[in-house]
Amino acid sequence: MEARPLQAIAGFAALLREHALTVGVAEQRAMVEAALALNPADYRKVEAGWRGIVCCDAQSWRRYPELFAAYWFPDRLTGTVRVSGETRPRRDLREAVAALHAFMDGQAGRSHPAADTALEGDSTADAEAGPARAQGGASRAEALEQRDFADWQAQDSRQLERIVEAIAERLRRRLIRRRRLGPRRERLDLRRTLRASLKTGGLPLAPAWLVRRRERPRLYVLVDVSRSMETYARLFLRVARAFVGVLDARVFVFHTRLAEVTPLLVRDRGRVQEKVNAVTAGFGGGTRIAYGLKQFQDLYAGRALSRSARVFILSDGFDSDPEQELRRELQRIRRRGARVYWLHPTVLRPPSRAVSGAADLVNAFAPLHNLDSMARIRRLVE
Amino acid sequence: MDEGQLKESLQRAGYVPETGLVTTLWFAQTLERPVLIEGDAGVGKTAVAGALAEALGRRLIRLQCYEGLDLQQAVYEWNYGRQLLAIRLHERDAGALSERDLFSKDYLLERPLLAAIASESPCVLLIDEIDRADEAFEAFLLEALADYQITIPEVGTVRARHRPLVILTSNGTRELSDALRRRCLYHFLEYPTAEREIAIVKTTLAEADSRLVEQAVEFVQRLRKEDLQKTPGIAESLDWIRALHQLRLKALPEDPESILRTLACLLKTREDRFQVNADQVRRLAEGRRPGVASSA
Repeated sequence: MEARPLQAIAGFAALLREHALTVGVAEQRAMVEAALALNPADYRKVEAGWRGIVCCDAQSWRRYPELFAAYWFPDRLTGTVRVSGETRPRRDLREAVAALHAFMDGQAGRSHPAADTALEGDSTADAEAGPARAQGGASRAEALEQRDFADWQAQDSRQLERIVEAIAERLRRRLIRRRRLGPRRERLDLRRTLRASLKTGGLPLAPAWLVRRRERPRLYVLVDVSRSMETYARLFLRVARAFVGVLDARVFVFHTRLAEVTPLLVRDRGRVQEKVNAVTAGFGGGTRIAYGLKQFQDLYAGRALSRSARVFILSDGFDSDPEQELRRELQRIRRRGARVYWLHPTVLRPPSRAVSGAADLVNAFAPLHNLDSMARIRRLVE
Repeated sequence: MDEGQLKESLQRAGYVPETGLVTTLWFAQTLERPVLIEGDAGVGKTAVAGALAEALGRRLIRLQCYEGLDLQQAVYEWNYGRQLLAIRLHERDAGALSERDLFSKDYLLERPLLAAIASESPCVLLIDEIDRADEAFEAFLLEALADYQITIPEVGTVRARHRPLVILTSNGTRELSDALRRRCLYHFLEYPTAEREIAIVKTTLAEADSRLVEQAVEFVQRLRKEDLQKTPGIAESLDWIRALHQLRLKALPEDPESILRTLACLLKTREDRFQVNADQVRRLAEGRRPGVASSA
């Protein structure tokens, strides 16, 4: 048992913070209050009670039981590696709660200020203790960025979303002609004002205002799912899903034909590859990038492709269409004012003749094989 | 009321709480903190507030949030029509009605937030689907939940005599601010386990045959693991089992086609109806994994 009962709780809070849960002094104080509100005999219930205090979303909610067990009941955890020479700190939840009650009873006269200073003191102690705990194992954050997409796990998607969020910040919102209801007195919305005035006998007491609207560029992501891209298609689809989630992009897959898969990516439920396979079944072998781009414009994007559109092509550039076709289709897209970015799984630009012949029509080429390269894309996009 | 009593009262009110929820609700009452409940649609988030109000013998005040919800609909509004009528009635004897009279509580229309704060007796305030309201309203709510007081410029500040027990629910259509999340206790409601769901169905539909309930719940539990666009919630399974009971069934029918005909209660999108066919229904009813051949 630690010297002070508050220290044990502060240590637990520090562990939660290390795992990205938002636990500040206010939460720690609420944890102490919750423990004090319980009968010491019901100490097991603090697990559920603290969960409500320290968790603030589904992700942290699901992670909590493991962290709770790791801190308070380390002996119960199986499969953990014990570093030789390290003595595992002995923590007992029952003793901690009981000691807390005893401590507070003892402090009754001075009670709250003492608890506050103890907590704040502990949180600085944690700051010192925090890194020491992290020394036990190597951090995986750095490795993750360098890791090739081929070795990626589904749970790393959050990292991917963060990068796409950074790209989203780069895409400036532009003024558009349509207006929306707003708080500022920019232009009177006559129709709404008159409708609302009926309630007040025709007196327009609550006028409605319209303000200029700013919108982010519309994003289109075209993913090559042909045989040559087989290794990468799954991961490129994950990148595409991040674009859908963060930037509301529309996603298409193509090899000999093109199909929209945005609705399949909206729900984060896995099995995307199977669904995409079902959509693209019967497409036949080969890659027809130019024909894919043609279908994309004729059937889907059409007039929506404007100055505010960004088209991301995720492909290795091996095209079985005549090479001038690709140039013609890219020209059509560029003529409408849209920008085209070509992301390739290889480190160097795709060497195919079709791509080389149309390189001047692509705003930027960028490799996309790990998180680092993904982060670099941010600098290209505008 | 201690935690055990709260659990019993909730059960008496027809709500079968999951482990941990009672503790969170009890803490909310003890620490006077609002509770934010998240979870998929149909897991019983809104039902928590109703059952809690009944269990504690308090009045339930409900604020349903939607896009464009403003303070007039959520907090208070002046009864303009009545004010106008009063002015007309007192036109002859000028001076009988002052401006102060017109902006008194008689002409104030209390909306849910003000009603909860001005309530004479303790109440439960349900702020349903907070994620549908816009960020400006969320910011206002943050202030109201911090002080439990509302200022009406013409009348003054209304302070809560009894802090209402506030339950917020969210379906996650929009990310809520960290400030609001931190102010609340949090609970994530999962789909119920089979045992809990059987208990829920038996509480609500006591007359249904026990074998039918168990088989149907097992079926729904397996169906939830399928990749559906709209996973059936508790309300859907209750509907379905009620329908099966109305068909005077004592157990799930053997014939998958018969089950398939009743699935309108569980599957609510065209894609899901299309996806679940007789073979899949047979597999789900028999509890087989995909790809494993039937023993029959």
